[in-house]
Amino acid sequence: MFRHTPLRYGALVLLASAALFQAFTAEYFGLEILTEIVILAMLVIALDMVAGFGGMVSLCHGALLGVGAYGYAILSTKLGLTPVVAMAGAVAITGAVAWVIGAICARSHGIYFIMATLAFGQMGYSYVFEAPLFGGDDGLGGIARLDLSLIGLDLNDGRSFALFSLGVLAAIYGVAVLILRSGLGRSLSGVMHNEQRMRALGLTVWRVKADVFGLSGLISGLAGVMAAQHVMFVSPGLLSWTVSGEALVVVILGGLGTLVGPLLGAAVFVLLKHEVGALTSYWHLVVGILLIAVVMSRANGIFGWIEARFGARIERRAADAVRDIDPREVKTDA
Amino acid sequence: MSLDLGFWTLQALNALQLSMLLFLLSIGLTVIFGLMHFVNLAHGALYALGAYFAASAAAVGGYWAGFFLAPVAVAGVGVLLYSGLIQRMRKSGPMAQVLVTFGLIFALLDITRIVWGDLALGLEVPDLLAGRVALLGVEYPAYRLFIIALGLAIFGALAFVLSRTQIGAMIRAGVDNDAMAACLGINVERLFFIVFCVGCALAGLAGAVAAPLLSVTPDMGLQILIPTLIVIVIGGLGSLKGAIAGSLIFGFVQTFGAVLAPQLASVLIYALLAAVLVIRPVGLFPAKG
Amino acid sequence: MKRALLAALGLATGFAMPATAQDIKVGLLLPFSGVYAALGNDIEAGFTTALEQFGSETPATFEIVREDTEVKPPVALAKAKKLILQDKVDVISGIVSSGVLGAVRDMVHGAGVPLIVANAGNDEATGEACSPYITRMSFSNGQVNRPMGKWMHDQGIRKVYTLAPDYAAGRQMIDGFVQTFTAAGGEIVGQEFTPFQKTQDFGPYMAQAKSSGAEAVFVFYAGGEAISFVKQYDSFGLKAELPLYGSGFLTSSLYVNAEGPAAEGVITALHYVPTLDNPANAQFVEAFKAKTGRVPSEFAVHGYDAGRALIEAVKAGATDRESLANALRQVSFDGPRGALSIDPATNNIVQPIYVYETIAGTDGLTQKVLAQLPAEADPVNGCEMAAPVSN
Repeated sequence: MFRHTPLRYGALVLLASAALFQAFTAEYFGLEILTEIVILAMLVIALDMVAGFGGMVSLCHGALLGVGAYGYAILSTKLGLTPVVAMAGAVAITGAVAWVIGAICARSHGIYFIMATLAFGQMGYSYVFEAPLFGGDDGLGGIARLDLSLIGLDLNDGRSFALFSLGVLAAIYGVAVLILRSGLGRSLSGVMHNEQRMRALGLTVWRVKADVFGLSGLISGLAGVMAAQHVMFVSPGLLSWTVSGEALVVVILGGLGTLVGPLLGAAVFVLLKHEVGALTSYWHLVVGILLIAVVMSRANGIFGWIEARFGARIERRAADAVRDIDPREVKTDA
Repeated sequence: MSLDLGFWTLQALNALQLSMLLFLLSIGLTVIFGLMHFVNLAHGALYALGAYFAASAAAVGGYWAGFFLAPVAVAGVGVLLYSGLIQRMRKSGPMAQVLVTFGLIFALLDITRIVWGDLALGLEVPDLLAGRVALLGVEYPAYRLFIIALGLAIFGALAFVLSRTQIGAMIRAGVDNDAMAACLGINVERLFFIVFCVGCALAGLAGAVAAPLLSVTPDMGLQILIPTLIVIVIGGLGSLKGAIAGSLIFGFVQTFGAVLAPQLASVLIYALLAAVLVIRPVGLFPAKG
Repeated sequence: MKRALLAALGLATGFAMPATAQDIKVGLLLPFSGVYAALGNDIEAGFTTALEQFGSETPATFEIVREDTEVKPPVALAKAKKLILQDKVDVISGIVSSGVLGAVRDMVHGAGVPLIVANAGNDEATGEACSPYITRMSFSNGQVNRPMGKWMHDQGIRKVYTLAPDYAAGRQMIDGFVQTFTAAGGEIVGQEFTPFQKTQDFGPYMAQAKSSGAEAVFVFYAGGEAISFVKQYDSFGLKAELPLYGSGFLTSSLYVNAEGPAAEGVITALHYVPTLDNPANAQFVEAFKAKTGRVPSEFAVHGYDAGRALIEAVKAGATDRESLANALRQVSFDGPRGALSIDPATNNIVQPIYVYETIAGTDGLTQKVLAQLPAEADPVNGCEMAAPVSN
């Protein structure tokens, strides 16, 4: 169950304006970074959906992004389909794969679930790496971007592509909110809080989990398609478990279960990587220490901390007497 | 591919050796999880540290210096990690633990790069164990036999400790129900600390032992992590029997898979893992049925 | 705030003074973090050594901008775009991994920026995917291994078992060898490709090689896998009855000492070893040792010759991207590897290949050159380019 609070709206407005400002004023490398942030944000929204709102911590979302990317690459280059059809196909394939994974892993919990998703992700990675169809370690190049010349947009221009990605991200965010507010989203929330009780109420729990995982897969697939179009090249590294790990890091850094937090986390993570990387070749160390610090601080990431500190105050000020408060937002001991 | 018995004996010995190496790594990790419910993804990084310590010690004092010093050094690192990090994270859920140890992996990766540089290091097999032994009709490297023997010895020692000594009983009680064990007066915190350090020492020993066989590179920890996780999940978390069963299964599937169906071999082991997770999520021989 | 700063920086560099005709801005696109950092550092050290040694031969000054590819194609592409569009470099050099080369190829070709490849060896880069802007000063996978096929046959070897990791480079290396070995009349009695970077225990494969009836084993492995392979091969005692041959990356001077005595007696072929006996190499080894404290590897010489090639191009009068790309296709000089030149039909380097044996030296392992095989241009292999305009 997801609700927009004034704080979240504010954060969204802030992020959106910063992104638009960057899109219109930045030079080429700035646009590259913006697009990288936006695509990562798409993936982490998908991950937050299942991990933050469904309690299913997944280490295969990187692989799902890879499936989307490779799906688009194969459909458009090897099978010669038009970009729009290839995009739709790739997204659908990824959604289906994710649904199957979700269904198979539905019976596992906690660390076993994490391991199961890791296993599937690695299977995908091994398969893509070795199948000659996918070009192996050298990857596949020559991927074309979507042709929007009908509405006067040349996506081969960095700025247009960045703006297009922003548009896609906004759409994805909207879809994620709709899903989380729907009946399915509420069921998911129930499952996360008490699976046994939901089963007792007659809910087919595995199907709820699979459905949400599948929807998350659709989003991840779209992120993958955008990634493939951005770089115009795919390589097996996209499916590696470390990509999934990094996505998880970003969600935690931003704030699990807030949907807005991961957006912030994506921006912070990418910018940090670039800044630190420019200073030293040991940026893994910095990121590692930062991650440890964030997790140990018990705050729910950066945005979770902001919400805990200030959210309650703002909420109370804007609250109605009749409105029922979501317990998660009033907790101050995170 | 031949049907000659010597070939299959050779492969069986290879499988056994791989299993023993993985056993040394997985036993530490599984008991830590079984007892402390703590997922330590950085176990692979500790293994790498063990290999690096051994390489440095061996440069000064020969292979055996490395062999004895590495576990001690890594146990020392374990003490630091426990008091600084693990103790505080113990009560957190699996996700927080996964992330903290993930962060540790990153940090330790760069620390090994900073201290020991980017170039690969080598470690020589000691003269005592160089050369081959004629065994069951094949000539097999003595060092690999040493690994098999070491693994079996450690298995035997741990089995003895866990089933015949008081501390073993306390550990088993803690694994079964740590709250109850604490009620019975067992100092569970101290037990966790000991178990964690012993687990780290075993990881360091595995690194020191593997170093002459493989190479000592900064990413060796990452490479061994996934096989180790697969072993403990298939075998079952928290038990010695699970660790040895999982290691043997992985070792044999991997080795014979590579021989019989190399293209499928890498997918095969993950498919096996997925199958176990679906059919019997707790693994084959978990500590708590 | 950070974004505003970034935006401002971007605007500022956009307005920066354009380089004068005699200032050459070079982008070094190499891995400086992660597993391949050692190679990146070696190539960079070689490159700067060349600029120091030969820079005085031209009045031009060289400015270097370093960017870390992390051996990840998307990261490398973003950095390449930065170098080209924001830093406005005149030429890029580097690229360790063939995957990264594949990712940046279209960008570099489309933007018309010369790229001097200082490692990546995939055959297509100077084959179907060739470009008048991409010049390779390192090697191609086939080139390093083809001469070995004929040479081994000349030594009387008739049956060979091959092993390599299962990825594009591994297959290309073995294909190069197999082509010439079978053409000369030899027989490949078995082939195996091991899961790339996932195989740590080569025991099962060595057992297979042993029972295949081969007279010799030819392999390609590099880095950590090479170290593991060579040591394990020795531990099984196979070297005596089944001599080990391979592509020189197996016993590269960068890590052969980690292999220890196990590497002694292994015969491999490569385009460079530090013990080559010619004045250019003596000068290079000395300068490199003084700078870094270690003996140069083949990766270092790639960087060195890339730097030298750039200087030669500038000496021939090139000043901007177009003229540099054109001039680079026509460089030839005597370097530490011997007589080198670029074949304008493919833009790949033409260089002699050395067969050498690893032996124990006074200060670790060293390489004894057994034969120098003549330089051969790569077959055109699908490359279609217009000839360069003569300097």
